Amino acid sequence: MTDAGEDRLEEDPRGRDAMRALLKRALSVEALAKASPHLVAGVQRRIRLRSRGRFFADGWSTMQSRATYLLVGLMTLTVAIAAYFALGPWDMR
Amino acid sequence: MSDDADAGLIDRLVLRDERAFTALVKAYERRVFALVLRMIGNPAEAEDLAQEVFVQVFKAIGTFRRESKLSTWIYRIAINLCKNRSKYLRVRHTAEQEPLDAQAERGAALDAKVSYSEIARPDDMASGKQAERIVQRAIAELEPSFRECLILRDVEDLSYEDIGEITGLPEGTVKSRIHRARAQLRDMVERALGEKIG
Repeated sequence: MTDAGEDRLEEDPRGRDAMRALLKRALSVEALAKASPHLVAGVQRRIRLRSRGRFFADGWSTMQSRATYLLVGLMTLTVAIAAYFALGPWDMR
Repeated sequence: MSDDADAGLIDRLVLRDERAFTALVKAYERRVFALVLRMIGNPAEAEDLAQEVFVQVFKAIGTFRRESKLSTWIYRIAINLCKNRSKYLRVRHTAEQEPLDAQAERGAALDAKVSYSEIARPDDMASGKQAERIVQRAIAELEPSFRECLILRDVEDLSYEDIGEITGLPEGTVKSRIHRARAQLRDMVERALGEKIG
């Protein structure tokens, strides 16, 4: 990306482009670190601590995955059914 | 992320919508981490600082006036935190290095000062990697205000207008700093490589 103002300041656009390419390579994430980390959990933890639990109070409800909801729903249903059969008004005679 | 998508996201963020904030972190985490890593040079420090950027975004989103792009505003927070952290690391490093400085050559101490130089890679001796390391060291030796303008322009590919908004500098100053940063960097790299670039 260049523009006229930059070209006026720079005397050697070819050298500048080569330097820029080298700079991009040297400062690529791959060149500086093993991988880009996932920050969500760490950020949520910090906010939870600093807000004294006002935000991101429970870890699971802030997850993006719907699987957590499904799992909790199924568990609740299983417990309810088990309780029904254990305590239900069955005529055992 | 488009401006329209950002606008909707900002509305939800202002209402402290936790899901919206999580979406924001996911959308920007790679870019913020990359910028901070380029500025600081140390992956562990960069991860810590990138998390802090988002904490600050969460705290300050109510003050975002929508006069600039959301990405520009986040970058500004990131750059300011990088400046503060760099200053802190320099002071800490100077305090730790003083006894060594008395014994060692000044040049060697300067070489050790940059956090980029701490990144050990097994394939260092390959000439391409060696050139990369020379650039990493050289960029770390640039004055921080020059370094930030150069990285924002030549690596992040931002416009002068955006860089001006992020750094709070007039456009002319941004251009001049980029020009001087390029010249200094090129000089350092060419001296280290012993050959002209381009």
